[in-house]
Amino acid sequence: MIVRPDSSRKEILRRIGARLVALVASLGIWWLASSVIWSANPVISNIGPGDAIPALWDGLLDGDLVSDLGSSLTRLSIGLAIAFIVGLPLGLALGSNRLLEDASTPIVNFLRMISPLAWAPIVIVAFGIGDVPVLFLIAITAVWPIALGTAAGVKAVSPALKELAESLGASRRERLRFVTSPVVEANVLTALRLALGVAWIVLVPAEMLGVDSGLGYAILNARDQLDYSALGGGVLLIGITGFVIDALFRRLFRVDPRISM
Amino acid sequence: MSGIHADRRHFLKFVAGTGLLATTAPSVLAACGGSSQSGAVTSLAAGTNPIVDRGAIRIGYLPITDASPLLVAHATGALTNEGFAADSPVLFRSWADLVEAFQAEQVDVVHLLMPLAVQLRFGAKLPVKVVAWNHTNGSALTAAERINSVSDLAGETVAIPFWWSIHNVVLQKLLRANGLTPIIAGDASRSDGTVKLVVVPPADMVPALASGSIAAFIVADPFNALAEVKDAGKILRFTGDVWRDHACCVTVVSENFLASGAEKGQGLVNALAASQLAIADDRSAAAAILSDGGYLPQPLAAIERALTHYATEEYFESGAIVNREWSSERIGFQPFAFPSYTEKLVSSLKETLIDGDSSFLSALDATTVHSELVADGLARAAIEANGGLERFRLASFERVETIAP
Repeated sequence: MIVRPDSSRKEILRRIGARLVALVASLGIWWLASSVIWSANPVISNIGPGDAIPALWDGLLDGDLVSDLGSSLTRLSIGLAIAFIVGLPLGLALGSNRLLEDASTPIVNFLRMISPLAWAPIVIVAFGIGDVPVLFLIAITAVWPIALGTAAGVKAVSPALKELAESLGASRRERLRFVTSPVVEANVLTALRLALGVAWIVLVPAEMLGVDSGLGYAILNARDQLDYSALGGGVLLIGITGFVIDALFRRLFRVDPRISM
Repeated sequence: MSGIHADRRHFLKFVAGTGLLATTAPSVLAACGGSSQSGAVTSLAAGTNPIVDRGAIRIGYLPITDASPLLVAHATGALTNEGFAADSPVLFRSWADLVEAFQAEQVDVVHLLMPLAVQLRFGAKLPVKVVAWNHTNGSALTAAERINSVSDLAGETVAIPFWWSIHNVVLQKLLRANGLTPIIAGDASRSDGTVKLVVVPPADMVPALASGSIAAFIVADPFNALAEVKDAGKILRFTGDVWRDHACCVTVVSENFLASGAEKGQGLVNALAASQLAIADDRSAAAAILSDGGYLPQPLAAIERALTHYATEEYFESGAIVNREWSSERIGFQPFAFPSYTEKLVSSLKETLIDGDSSFLSALDATTVHSELVADGLARAAIEANGGLERFRLASFERVETIAP
């Protein structure tokens, strides 16, 4: 937990109070939209808080949504791992070699601007349906923030600091360990958090590519079954899970939210 | 290039022809009418003079040949002849999209898979009515080259377009008849004789088959024809050879639409029947309309094959057609919804594995579903108004369902 210098008991209570008010207001708007404004719409009227929250609860109790959540989180982890394995060396290379960076910047900027979903048709032709295309889409989404964040970290190490370390007789290994690493590490963690966020966003549409599990599949199947309250429950779970994994990540790696996004 | 011009000439001739058909049919009918029975029909028939103003009509469709009657009815002016001001049909990319737009009343008329119509009426309890069959048959099980029989599908993955579809029903009948067990989750196993079913959007099926991640798919044309044309797979079995002249897509409207006056339902089904006859009379020209008119995005070769290529030696030899004596068509066009089909479909659905809540089915009485869901009198009148049963290759308004998996 990041303890802010100005935080006191009163301050914390004030924050919790403000969040509660915002939460209740959001629920109110949600209810207003589904049960008043679009109450005659057979689809939207079934996605109100009174339908979605019980549907989420039922889905969790009977285990369907739990196993879907498990599949989604597994795919997220594998996809992110691939992105990290590719993105970290790429970022280190880009950050430390000026010529390489100059040469590849246009290509990298071109590739990272392509919506991952625009890859979907090509991915299906290349890999078919199932887990592989989903992992590919997550990896290709997450690799760019990781590579660019790492490169920025390498470049952020002050040359003066490196020279100072060198003049004090630090070896190459020591310089990397005590000067470069700490700076790069902070940047990589921030980049990873960013990658985690975009990967989670892409996961859901990616799971619509012929897989039989996962939250994306649950949502797609709920639509096909005309079960709109289950659809609402699935959307809720996606949002809550995204929120929780981001909070966990920050807590585990102590990424300060104020500097990260 | 000359091909395109020929198509266009063909197209114009075709439109002129159907226009003529739609406007002359009632006058011919009136001329030979005289008995009280045909008099009653005339009042409902196509293009009665003066034309009633039936108002705007919005069509929603998916890009499959199943939608042909609705699309051709728009292209040839059959709907206009019935007094409708028809907007350009709106293309949707998935059944879920189409059903949501239909529920939100963004479109008035849609073609839906018959099991989906059952689910809408009895599962979601929406006031929808089936007013006609769009077509019969029109689908196939298409497999990779290495698959030579249904039993080769043990341990493989097969794609279906939708859980609530005749495709899912027929596929599971085929698998069970060959001693295989369909499964929804987990991996298929050759030794256990299980086959994994997975829902895939039709447009992704051909690439998925080509990449080898599925062994077969069962879906409406022109995707089967497309796989043939692109050498991505071969027809393992036509669904119309398993369940003789089954319905696949049916035309669905809301009860509000039917109750909104001016005999809208009858006008719609008359236009549909006229359009079905026009397609059956000149299938190549219909293919050209669907392609050149921008209604279907698939290549003309695939659409034309889907409409015309059926009773050939290659299919008899390969086993894609076993019941040769049925003399069916790859896709047939007639609007009448047989009650026996609805009944058999509902009882079959009860035995079909579906990844979703199908509990409402157990409370359904298969014998009463038809009268609640289907307004079959409209098609009866439209058939009479358009030249009678024979014109639609029908023998009677009754039949016995034949299923031979």
